[in-house]
Amino acid sequence: MNASIRQRIARESISWLLLVFALGLVFSRLPRAAGILPLWRPWAELGVLSLGMTAVILTGGIDLSIGSIVTLSGAVLGYLWQVTGLPLGVAASAAVLTGTLAGALNGFAISWGMSPLVTTLASMALYSGVSMALLEQNRITGFPATFLALGNGSLAGVPSQLVLLIVAATVLAVLVHATRFGRYLFSLGDQRKSAQFAGVPVKRVERSLYALNGFLAGLVALWYTARRGAAVADAGQGLELQVIACVVLGGTRVTGGSGSIARTLLGLGILAHLEIGLRLWGNQTITLPGFGGGVTLTANARLILIGLLVILVALLNERLAPRQRDST
Amino acid sequence: MIRHLPMIGLLLSALISGCTTGSETSETPAPEVGGAAGRPVATKRLRVGMMPKLVGIDYFNECRKGAEEAASELGIELIYDGPSTDKVELQVQMIDEWIALGYDAIAVSPNDPEVISPALQRAREAGIAVITWDADANPASGRQIFVNQCPVAEVGSRLVDLMAEAIGGKGKAVIVTGSATSPNQNAWMKAMRAHLQEKYPEIELLETLVPDENQNRARQMTLDLLTAEPELSGVWGITSVALPGVGEAVKQAGKTGKVFVTGLSLPSTVKSYVKDGTIPKVVLWSPRDLGYLTIHATKALAERQLDSGTRDFGRLKEIRIKGDEVILGQPLVFDAENIDQYSF
Repeated sequence: MNASIRQRIARESISWLLLVFALGLVFSRLPRAAGILPLWRPWAELGVLSLGMTAVILTGGIDLSIGSIVTLSGAVLGYLWQVTGLPLGVAASAAVLTGTLAGALNGFAISWGMSPLVTTLASMALYSGVSMALLEQNRITGFPATFLALGNGSLAGVPSQLVLLIVAATVLAVLVHATRFGRYLFSLGDQRKSAQFAGVPVKRVERSLYALNGFLAGLVALWYTARRGAAVADAGQGLELQVIACVVLGGTRVTGGSGSIARTLLGLGILAHLEIGLRLWGNQTITLPGFGGGVTLTANARLILIGLLVILVALLNERLAPRQRDST
Repeated sequence: MIRHLPMIGLLLSALISGCTTGSETSETPAPEVGGAAGRPVATKRLRVGMMPKLVGIDYFNECRKGAEEAASELGIELIYDGPSTDKVELQVQMIDEWIALGYDAIAVSPNDPEVISPALQRAREAGIAVITWDADANPASGRQIFVNQCPVAEVGSRLVDLMAEAIGGKGKAVIVTGSATSPNQNAWMKAMRAHLQEKYPEIELLETLVPDENQNRARQMTLDLLTAEPELSGVWGITSVALPGVGEAVKQAGKTGKVFVTGLSLPSTVKSYVKDGTIPKVVLWSPRDLGYLTIHATKALAERQLDSGTRDFGRLKEIRIKGDEVILGQPLVFDAENIDQYSF
């Protein structure tokens, strides 16, 4: 067995072990296993966002504005429906379109050579500013029950968000791993310059990529708003960090060129069940064998534990990932 | 790295088996109530999840002490837990998790009255008793009672009366609040304005300062205003973050005794300013009593013993119940004379 295969096994097993550990936390505490289903809703929404983010990060890019786009699309939805009185279906389509355009704007700036970090840092402020200007301190509520069912309903027992995630993951997996567009993403992440010389339509790829990411954010905004029953101007604040955490935790390299949709789903599974599991054990004392006392899982202890575990996995991913460059 | 793998695996499995140990011990009744888990063994103990807006700040730590006191009096299993930042989305997720755990009652101080509502509805549908405390949710959520620290109008008029008395019923004054969206502060400001308009039309209210729950910014904004408005007679700081900032600004500007400062805060956070006369009077209810009352009211609700009128809850006597609100009572006023009697 050569070293690289052993490294690969090591890397995989740590992720899976952590997933098993997290699932153990969840199901040792839940009285009914089916009780997990509604708890998956917010994480499935996050998962859809992390699929698009995976494609972005594969090219060596980043989209920090993703949370703000969710907020903006939700704000547009609420505003058009309640303030201008458009039918909800029209408002919802406009919300998804807004997300796509917001993403496309990022894509244009980036294809003109601006750094993705700077571009989306700026547009994060821009989109959240527009949302606040639209809604101010108002909360748009009173959505019809049919719309709320989108956020709280199920299809054959499967929460609506999970259905969305399954569909989106299938589409994205095909797009990233089985199309020419997908191959372009990887080649961009390896070397933008050489991809250009190799005839990859770099600018077009970047524009469509960020627009796609915005489209997914606009779509998620519908489910997000329906689940919360309200459009608020600061709704999606901070989502981007969790989204990026899922991608990185899965093992997609932040520098681009290596990663997969499946890995991100693994990262999502780990993060979701760690957070849910640790909170289910919230303020319970867990006794560690071999140690004198126990650990009480207060909010701070949970943060520390999640931080440590994420660092552990990220470190292993980084150390054990196949290396293209032999700089060390 | 590969050679560390067995060790890491060991650590993880230790953690997993650790959890099992945890769940085993939780089958036996815990000696201390409120901390460690204690599932009911013979008789069914009420399991109550109580959630503040966020954990780890003085105000909610005090609420927790009162809640734990009541829980041990009543033999209730109390889980006091909440998010580490004041995000309603995290509260929503935690409430759904508590529904899955099958708690008997959930008492929450929501960060957003609307966004919390669907989660509270789901809890009601699951047969869980739902109480709001400290801040209310939209009553349409189906929350059964709101444990109100103090009616909004009484807080507002008390703050205004204290100011008017000190500055002689006229002059320029300003309010320093938390963030622009905080529902409690906005309700109090509305009540203050109404009371000012009605009783003290000669007090001119300047534009409210909004330092976003940042003490240093509250201090800086107040300092700037003291320079820009030399005629300023009084300042209200209406959060436990704003008021110490205001006190520090007035002290730094050398205006102690010239500009009257009062507001809402935990007395412990402004004790030195109260003692040196910068903030002669501070208004607040007892957060410990609020936590205590919340747990008592939860128990009474579970036993269907909450009718409008007046009744005692443990050591708290003659508590008013009005419709779906349980009211802790009048605000307390702290000054240099009495502040040492309070520990919070």
